Amino acid sequence: MIRKPISRTASILWGVSIWVIFFTAWELAVIFEKVNLLLVPPPEKVLTALYSLIVEGNFLNDIGISILRVIGSFLGACVVAVPLGILMGTFATAESFLNPFVSAWRYLPAPAFIPILLMWLGTGEGPKLALLFIGVVFFLITLIMDYTRQVRIELIETSLTLGASQKRVLWTVIVPAVLPNVVIAMRQMLAVSWTYLVIAEIVASTTGIGAMMMRARRFLHTDEIMAGILVIGILGLLFDLLFRWMHRVFFGYLYNNER
Amino acid sequence: MATNFNKNDSVKLVVENAGKTYTHNNGSTIDAIVDVSFSVQRNEYCVLLGPSGCGKSTVLRMVAGLETPTTGRILLDGKIIEGPDRHRGMVFQNYTSFDWLTVNKNVEYGMKCNGVAAREREQIAAHFLDIVQLTKFKDAYPSQLSGGMKQRVAIARTLANKPSVILMDEPFGALDAETRWNMQELMASIIESTDTTVVMVTHDIEEALFLGDRIVFFSGHPGTVMEDGPVEYKNRQRVMIKEEALDLPGYIEAERHIMALMRSQRQEIGG
Repeated sequence: MIRKPISRTASILWGVSIWVIFFTAWELAVIFEKVNLLLVPPPEKVLTALYSLIVEGNFLNDIGISILRVIGSFLGACVVAVPLGILMGTFATAESFLNPFVSAWRYLPAPAFIPILLMWLGTGEGPKLALLFIGVVFFLITLIMDYTRQVRIELIETSLTLGASQKRVLWTVIVPAVLPNVVIAMRQMLAVSWTYLVIAEIVASTTGIGAMMMRARRFLHTDEIMAGILVIGILGLLFDLLFRWMHRVFFGYLYNNER
Repeated sequence: MATNFNKNDSVKLVVENAGKTYTHNNGSTIDAIVDVSFSVQRNEYCVLLGPSGCGKSTVLRMVAGLETPTTGRILLDGKIIEGPDRHRGMVFQNYTSFDWLTVNKNVEYGMKCNGVAAREREQIAAHFLDIVQLTKFKDAYPSQLSGGMKQRVAIARTLANKPSVILMDEPFGALDAETRWNMQELMASIIESTDTTVVMVTHDIEEALFLGDRIVFFSGHPGTVMEDGPVEYKNRQRVMIKEEALDLPGYIEAERHIMALMRSQRQEIGG
């Protein structure tokens, strides 16, 4: 039925069934040997590979390093992007000055900087963190600027006619009004950060989830590669859930209608 | 003529030959309002009425200091208005509750901006929350309130800040008919119990006649004052209940007169 809601149970059942179909198809393809088993291992083999990677290998260490890279570079990007985005969305001068620069960088694909970053920053953590930073910071600035511009002018004007100074309007109206959307922008860009992490670790790293997958490729361990993909997916999902949860906790006043 | 008003103690607000011209990017100009003059007495409820697009909201925004007149000047208590400040508090048609603050904190906001001590803020906020009948909801967040309640928060917030003039831009325009009607009566009782000068923009004739002590009628394109005078059917008395207004002799004539004015302007715009 067009635009008619379905029950929660039905919704969950439908959501689970697509995964059942996916794994059944995978399993059947393996059982009837429709695929090269070396290239496509059965799903359970991916899970056992993941288990042995964690127990016998050093995979937890790789996961930890990857998480730290994402968090470290992302925090750096936020420290730069949140104030700049809010300033650019508030003051026309700040926008005119910075936006041509920020927009230009947005059009340059971050991986294009890998060779030069490697030359400038060596092979340690520097180039990886820099790539992740460059990959998200300009998009984050733009998103936050746009969200700041969307703060309704009536709120600002109300505050001015109540006697607030420019500075007070910025701190007590614009900032609190845009914060919920800043967290949404961060959630969106954190997903992008994971993408660049994998690129950085595949191209130039000996540690991290991406590096583990490249090592596995050398020994034709497709099950381990897939285990890596699985872990990245799960981590992305967990971080997304963390941000959703933070949004609800910090901005509970927006959810009052649902109580 | 307006300069004479300046010497008169009871004159609160004077708009003197105000005009606003907008310049388009291609260099062409358009006169939004031309040569607007009127004045508002202390404690007067002045309604700016006129067809949509006549520039009455622009006039109100200029009084607020949110826009500057291209020509003429606007004086509050004899001083030329420069930019927005606490003396001219504005209530908008769209909801302006600060969602991240409780109802009580919303009402205290202006006082906090102006350095009123915490205890005093609390007392004043409690008083005005009582007036707008929201005491029970003082710890609620705006997302839990209905449209009419949000508008009452905005009114209490403005009143609590003790502005010299309250400016209202179609404050009940977004509300349903019944809520609107209740709000109009609430507004009538509020201005009776507090010393307030109000300038309100509306295009609702009934609302203008019920609440206004004076109606300034604007013609359209470019907007200018077409008629300006006290609401005579009330004999300088205020009416608290809507049907009482309807019962007064002269009400129907007053409404008919304004409708005719409205119609003449609409036809002009249409033609």
